[in-house]
Amino acid sequence: MHDLAIRTEDLTKSFGEIRALAGLDLEVARGEIFGLVGPDGAGKTTTMRLLSGLLRPDAGRAEVAGLDVVERTEDVRRLLGYLPQTFAMLHELTVAENIEYFADLYCIPRGQFAQRSDELLSATGLTEFTGRRADALSGGMGQKLALICSLIHRPQVLLLDEPTRGVDPVSRRDLWRIVYGLPAEDVTVLISTPYADEAERCNRLGVLVDGILQTVGTPQDLVARQTSRPIELQATEQRLARNALEKLGGVETVAVVGQALRITVRRDGPGPEEVLKALDGAGVEATEAHWAQPRLADALLAIAERCGKDG
Amino acid sequence: MRRPATLRRMLAVARAEWRHNYRDARSLAIVIALPVFLLLIYGYGINLDLRDLPFAVQDLDRTEQSADFVNRLVRSGYFTLARAIQDTREIDSVIEVGAVRFVLVIPHGFGGDLASGRPAQVQVVLDGGDSATASVALGYLQALVGDHSIHLARRWAMRHGLPASAVEPALRVVPRVLYNPELRSVNFIVPGLIAVILTLLAALLTSGCIVREREGGSFEALAASPIAPIEIVLGKLLPYAVISFVDIVLCMVVGRLLFGVAPMGDKALLLGLSLIYLIASLSIGLLVSSLARSHQVATLIAFLATVLPSLLVSGFAFPVRSMPVALQAIAQIIPATHFLIIIRAIYLKGAGVSAFAPRVAALAAMALALVLLTVRTFRKRLE
Ligand SMILES: Nc1ncnc2c1ncn2[C@@H]1O[C@H](COP(=O)(O)OP(=O)(O)OP(=O)(O)O)[C@@H](O)[C@H]1O
Ligand SMILES: [Mg+2]
Repeated sequence: MHDLAIRTEDLTKSFGEIRALAGLDLEVARGEIFGLVGPDGAGKTTTMRLLSGLLRPDAGRAEVAGLDVVERTEDVRRLLGYLPQTFAMLHELTVAENIEYFADLYCIPRGQFAQRSDELLSATGLTEFTGRRADALSGGMGQKLALICSLIHRPQVLLLDEPTRGVDPVSRRDLWRIVYGLPAEDVTVLISTPYADEAERCNRLGVLVDGILQTVGTPQDLVARQTSRPIELQATEQRLARNALEKLGGVETVAVVGQALRITVRRDGPGPEEVLKALDGAGVEATEAHWAQPRLADALLAIAERCGKDG
Repeated sequence: MRRPATLRRMLAVARAEWRHNYRDARSLAIVIALPVFLLLIYGYGINLDLRDLPFAVQDLDRTEQSADFVNRLVRSGYFTLARAIQDTREIDSVIEVGAVRFVLVIPHGFGGDLASGRPAQVQVVLDGGDSATASVALGYLQALVGDHSIHLARRWAMRHGLPASAVEPALRVVPRVLYNPELRSVNFIVPGLIAVILTLLAALLTSGCIVREREGGSFEALAASPIAPIEIVLGKLLPYAVISFVDIVLCMVVGRLLFGVAPMGDKALLLGLSLIYLIASLSIGLLVSSLARSHQVATLIAFLATVLPSLLVSGFAFPVRSMPVALQAIAQIIPATHFLIIIRAIYLKGAGVSAFAPRVAALAAMALALVLLTVRTFRKRLE
């Protein structure tokens, strides 16, 4: 079998004036969990839809398991699992009926079906809810059902489009536990997520902003490539402090993290002491400024900010 | 290997669609209540039979003969004497306010003319605003007047010692009404109504079924699966064919129980041919549904494409032959036109296939073409 689960070359898609995806070159190795991260409107969903043949590329090409997605769309679809961003279960059908529906669409042999279904139900903790209608499920349970349905036919490549958006932390953990186990079953995963803490769990990441792939690498690579360093501090008036910090020279990003403010500063930018001094000068009260451990979230934010300034 | 897979995916879509209808209270109401409701409303509402039509009399003659004539009209049961008019100026106003549908003016000397054997005249002022009723009323009136004059002539002959046959008119029209001998308009209306109701249902049922999935998000997962367009189309058609087939049976039963109208011909033949018509109509709804951007737009377009022509150009309300040539041509490409002819022929004439074979062929060709068109234009994509 092919070593590259997904390969795109100059993949391009526009909607009228909007450039949703501009020349994407992406390679995802077999057995990888590859994360697609980026802000709203970055082109993540567009990428997934191009790979599943739901959209036609304007230019470039894409392959899944070595098969061209335009020329061999239906063959690709047979070995692809896809969990769309919008809830795609049939509302009036129960959990069990939805699973059966997808098993039929992919023509899973009856003998394999029951075992596979039970296995996935117990892995997601949905066994007790098989009789419940899909529209009566909580957000987390709904996404678990969607995950079951996308896995029922043992796909080689799984596309997960923000599967944890709006899902409670416990369900998120459950969903990830299943995703983690997939490479062992020889399933390659392409997952998009808006959360940095989830991106950290991927083998590799691609950062997409405004339809352009900014950078690719392991989470550690991305952190290591950061040229700016983080500082955390406390401020009583967070909003005022943010405004003041955003205007400060050498400061790259400003974010609120719980009770604290977290900023990143360039190598030639101010240190903790200088930041406090500058805030004091602007009449904003702040304390406890200190260097912090670099994190993936800083790196992702910095990339998005840099693109925002360029555009 | 391929055939069982095709069947399985098609049935999966059909089962899901069936469950959707069966669990969605609104869909269920449309399926069962709507046809019965429409048949009741329109069956009772559209009644072309003439009964108790109000009229007024201005009797300037005031003789035994004039009273006798008015009596005869009232006794017929078609007309009710609503008022007597004294002043000629009243004539226009009673018609204008709709109090009566016509005014009978009996001139001076009516009785004298009759008594002396001279031809007498009466004047009728009709409300032409409702021309259909006016012409039917005039027809009845003329028939009654003809009857009455023969009756008078016989009396005159007898009084003068002549045999009654001496006054029999040389030529007399004896109407023999074919196919609907009681001349009850429900006999004619009910079959047409069943056709129109089925058309409406078909449009309502299928026009939503794909665009609904697009709006709801489930289309994305369906389209990303390896199902073929023909499997989706046939899978969506199947449950609605069953549902609307139940509806035609329901309509026939209601027509029988409430209006006493039953097909004179072969019921099984009618049901079989209805199925062909239903597939054509359901496909139009499905085609619209797969191309439309929103549920509302789909329902509206399906309605305009099926129900409107079936009401206006199919021959349901106006005979196709009396329409402009362009409309007649359009009527030929509308499935409802052909089905209407078939259902009326089976209901009213008890006709068999040989009486309308070309219509059956046209209907079957249209059904097949529409299914194929829906499959060919179906895109498993989001743009
Ligand atoms: N069908 C469409 N018609 C018009 N514009 C579209 C369509 N789909 C996407 N877009 C536009 O293309 C761009 C990329 O959208 P896309 O949905 O791929 O982004 P995304 O990264 O998935 O964002 P999000 O996090 O909001 O899901 C956006 O500007 C979006 O508005
Ligand atoms: Mg998206």
